[in-house]
Amino acid sequence: MTAVDRLFANPPHATDELRILAASGQLGYGIPAEALAQGLKRNPHLIGCDMGSVDPGPYYLGSGKMATSEAITIRDLTLVLKAARNLDIPLIIGTAGTAGAEAHLQTTLELIRTIARNERLDMKLAIIHADIPRALIKEMLHAGRIHTLGPIPLIDDAAIDRATNIVGQMGQEAFIRALEMRPDVIIAGRACDTAIFSSLPVMLGYPVGPAVHMAKIIECSSICCTPGGRDAILGTIEPGGESFTLESMNPLRAATPLSVAAHSLYEQADPFSVHEPDGVLRVDSASYEAVNERVTRVRGAVWQPASQITVKIEGAERVGERAILCAGSSDPRVIENLALIEQGVRGNVASILNDFITGYTIKFHIYGTGATQIFSKSKFKKPSEIFFLVECLANNADHAKAVAGVTKQYLLHHGFQGRLSTGGNIAFPFTPPEINAGTAYRFSFYHVMEVDNIAELFPIEIEQIRGNVQVATHV
Amino acid sequence: MMKFIVRLIDVASVIRSKNAGPLQITLDILFPDATSYALACSSNALKASALAERYEVEPNSLSVIHYHPARAIKVVIDRPLVAGTPGDSDVYGAQQHHPLLDITL
Repeated sequence: MTAVDRLFANPPHATDELRILAASGQLGYGIPAEALAQGLKRNPHLIGCDMGSVDPGPYYLGSGKMATSEAITIRDLTLVLKAARNLDIPLIIGTAGTAGAEAHLQTTLELIRTIARNERLDMKLAIIHADIPRALIKEMLHAGRIHTLGPIPLIDDAAIDRATNIVGQMGQEAFIRALEMRPDVIIAGRACDTAIFSSLPVMLGYPVGPAVHMAKIIECSSICCTPGGRDAILGTIEPGGESFTLESMNPLRAATPLSVAAHSLYEQADPFSVHEPDGVLRVDSASYEAVNERVTRVRGAVWQPASQITVKIEGAERVGERAILCAGSSDPRVIENLALIEQGVRGNVASILNDFITGYTIKFHIYGTGATQIFSKSKFKKPSEIFFLVECLANNADHAKAVAGVTKQYLLHHGFQGRLSTGGNIAFPFTPPEINAGTAYRFSFYHVMEVDNIAELFPIEIEQIRGNVQVATHV
Repeated sequence: MMKFIVRLIDVASVIRSKNAGPLQITLDILFPDATSYALACSSNALKASALAERYEVEPNSLSVIHYHPARAIKVVIDRPLVAGTPGDSDVYGAQQHHPLLDITL
């Protein structure tokens, strides 16, 4: 009998309360163990964890690698797997391995198999894949059924072929289909973070609006509290399902009506609505009331089902190989003449390299002068010290390092009118100051695709892990 | 009649920025009480046109939303580069609130 079998043998109905423990908003960066342990004492029906998103940038989706270290990822996975198996309750992990493409899913599964062996855990796994076939994307593109989500060009066939990984964000449908297969643990590729937590209550018949609203808040663990933090949070859907309560499992964090309402702003362009594959959550009419000084009750969000199912698709492609140069300067004449120096160095580098390295780019990030700023740099005063982070891209790693190295030498010795620092314009914190930084990627798609058969898009497989059976492997 | 100069940084409780997906940056300005929120909502310095000028962007790439449940003003700006594309300077978009810091209401 699996954890989901056991839950469904005597399922909570909409007349009972349903407790969901959100263990982590980004599994792999260190789940606070004490708050998780407190949450387990509350006898949750489900543990959910989000393991990624597009937020860390295109490298992870592009390369298929995880953003989190293997050691801490193993620690966190061990914590939640042991917790769920000991209580015999379902565990759902979404956006496996940072970006949720097949490579991330397989890396995560390999870690889970190792943990199961080491910890002697048995489990029935449901694995939900999220890679989207290129042929389908092309077909939908040609049918005019792929749309942009903002200031990014529409894709074309060549971009679809160039992308190293393309994933779709699954919603509740995929998780409900996986729960119907009665596993102990669900590991999903790229997924809406809400669906991890809302699929069980929706499947059990609780009203969709409050269930999705609760999911949207708890997917970030205790960030909705004051002070915000990464500790586990308990979301409890109250009998009838029209309201839910939020309580951080760290007693120092309070979910107050204001802190919970403010969470609707967090990383959202529109605080009034949340778009999901199968509908839109409207929170305009939500209300927030204090149950006590650290627990808040929420009600009133409305679910509007969509007439057309849509899935957000994300893709990344390789741009080139990156090398960086790290150096600083505190020379006032250098700082006064930065624009001129940059222009001069670019000219020198071009005259050296242009014969045999083509297609390279150089970007001077000059910290102290507004290098962090995407928009206006005009508020920055002249600094007394600056840092050069020079980003060089080329077609291969040797060329990228060559561009950084030549730039280094010409920046060090660049002559200009009024120069004092004839020993060298820059200080290196260490050598070599030019460093290969791996492959550079960019998001080539962040679009929405209309979908006719969503179940086909996110196939599920079942794997039985028998960690408790120790098989001798003598050679 | 006395005139008071109220600096945004002195009355706001939070002034932050972050990506809202890889295509947009969102700025949230939160206020601790109804008085300061009302003052900010009525201030010309926090209107879309003034903010577009301050951020040196086209007015149609910036919008302002007043969100009463959290006493917050939200500003949403289109990114000129998709987050993390080479040439970007803030992959998470977490340091784009700087141009707001010297606003007077």
